[in-house]
Amino acid sequence: MTSGTEGTGALAQEVAAPRPRVRWRARLALVLAAGFGLVAMSWPLLTTPGGALTETTSGPWLFALLLPLVTAAVLMQLSDGGLDARAVAMLGVMSAVVAAVRPFGAGAAGVETVFFLIILAGRVFGAGFGFILGCTGLFASALLTGGVGPWMPFQMFAAAFVGLGAGLLPRTGTDTRGGRAAELVLLAAYAVVSSILYGLLLNLSFWPFAITQGNLAYVPGGGIGENLPRLFAYSLATSLGWDIGRAITTAVLIALTGPLLLRVLRRAARRANWV
Amino acid sequence: MSVPARAPVRPTATHPAPARRRTAHPVAWWGWALLLATTAGRTANPWLLLLIVAVAGLVVTFCRGDEPWSGAYRVFLLIGLTAVAVRMAFYIVFGGSDGPTVLFSLPSTTLPDWAAGFRLGGNVTAEGALAAAYDGLRLATLLVCVGAANALASPRRLLRSVPAALYEVSVAVVVALSVAPQLVAGVGRVRRARALRGNTNRSPANLMRTVAAPVLHDALDRSLALAAAMASRGYGRAAGIPAPARRATGAALLFGLLGLCAGAYALLGAATPAPVAWTLLAAGAAAAVFGIAFASKRVPHTRYRPDRFGPLDWAVLASGAAAVVGTVLSGLTDSAALWPATNPLAVPDLPLWAAAGVLLAAAPAALVPSTPKGTT
Repeated sequence: MTSGTEGTGALAQEVAAPRPRVRWRARLALVLAAGFGLVAMSWPLLTTPGGALTETTSGPWLFALLLPLVTAAVLMQLSDGGLDARAVAMLGVMSAVVAAVRPFGAGAAGVETVFFLIILAGRVFGAGFGFILGCTGLFASALLTGGVGPWMPFQMFAAAFVGLGAGLLPRTGTDTRGGRAAELVLLAAYAVVSSILYGLLLNLSFWPFAITQGNLAYVPGGGIGENLPRLFAYSLATSLGWDIGRAITTAVLIALTGPLLLRVLRRAARRANWV
Repeated sequence: MSVPARAPVRPTATHPAPARRRTAHPVAWWGWALLLATTAGRTANPWLLLLIVAVAGLVVTFCRGDEPWSGAYRVFLLIGLTAVAVRMAFYIVFGGSDGPTVLFSLPSTTLPDWAAGFRLGGNVTAEGALAAAYDGLRLATLLVCVGAANALASPRRLLRSVPAALYEVSVAVVVALSVAPQLVAGVGRVRRARALRGNTNRSPANLMRTVAAPVLHDALDRSLALAAAMASRGYGRAAGIPAPARRATGAALLFGLLGLCAGAYALLGAATPAPVAWTLLAAGAAAAVFGIAFASKRVPHTRYRPDRFGPLDWAVLASGAAAVVGTVLSGLTDSAALWPATNPLAVPDLPLWAAAGVLLAAAPAALVPSTPKGTT
């Protein structure tokens, strides 16, 4: 019902009305937040023997409390001076869609139905929008299902960067058949990489307090040589299947729904340009 | 929307005064639950952990409303039981601490060196199993505390407590929370229309084109209508924040992030002394909090019926703090009871101070019981 009404010429002009502008301060904040997030998730691998974090077991809790603060600071910088009403409404609706499709992936192993939406929306509406959507989408779905827990800050943060990265991918022409196919291939490849990275980083953030004794546990002060094989074995034993499942389902969903959803989202972006 | 602060709404029969609400502030519930979780994190004594689970369950039973999220406690209890089971399975397959009492033996194999030389299987000892069970119980208790907060704190009221500087983002989440049920209704409507047209095709491609696309179009169009409605009521016009204040906020936030980053990296290495690293981290967090608070003061949005933090909410928080204080006191007097030894096997004692503190944390059940017809 949508095909045929839109000429390819209209698709070609990249209209992106509800794009939150990303100023230099917001960029700096994003880079700093990415640096902090990297430490917050992968500190078990990065600590050196004798470092202050190796002596306490409160690392994950500390970072789970500090991450919301960092996320709030970045969101404030991104929405500095007020978000457009259209961006707010669009964010709300897209977050609702994310929250509505998330339960579909909860039952089956590794089926993840959130990422393809965040990636496609980040692609159409830009990096800043993708970042905020990653946060608000996962937050809204956690609120709706009563799933707020110590893992939520990490999930929100990682999903936000998935959306940000989707907005930063290079442009392919969307006015030719080849350009649109190339865009889908690019997005699917990005989906595979980002899903596996997301799984590994989340695993890493939860690992030190999921298991504390035995061959698979994190050794405080063990350094990367001691802990990397243990992490690898832990991932293999627990979640690698899920991560690969998530990567495959996200890529397949993008390939299947991408043409339609990209068209729907671009139409909305064009129509939102009503000022 | 810089509406001048209006006179407080007078309580009437249909609009009871906010002071009469019976349930506590969501921030108080989250604080109470996190304090209980902190208590659970400071001990491995099974009696104490089970007592915490029981207290959380009691308070949830007495204080929860009948909203959709009120069943979260049971879900988190199941997740907690799964955590214990997973922890035991890990112990049996991959081993852990050992002891002299062998329960049974599994065929064991040692992985080659390139796979880090782990031993799989082998002896399963009572001491090791007990240690694994205590450890799993600790994680399960933490999860149950979080579940209690999920069941008790109303997310809608929690969103009203988001700092004013994040106003736009919280509005987006509020929009999401109210649009999600409409999406479900939209799917039903589109499917009915599709059936009336005689389309019974069940192939995913057809469903995608005739159900998903119209629902999504509908939702996005509605979001544009909503945006137009918001804009016509004056939403989204540039808030009159002076440039210096905005620059000060930006500087505070950026310095805060910088401090947090530097502190986190300093914590990793041994080159920086630990006090310096912790100070950097604390200073960064303080600067970021200051930036958010400063910006929130400048935002000219008024709140309709602000959700105040009353004495009852402080009492709820204090009861949670009592549990932590009790555990700290027990740690000072007999820390062996907080971390019971599993080798040799022994029945652990119940640390009295900690148990008294955890029992005090059940006070919200008496302070803020939910009304029979739900909470406000």
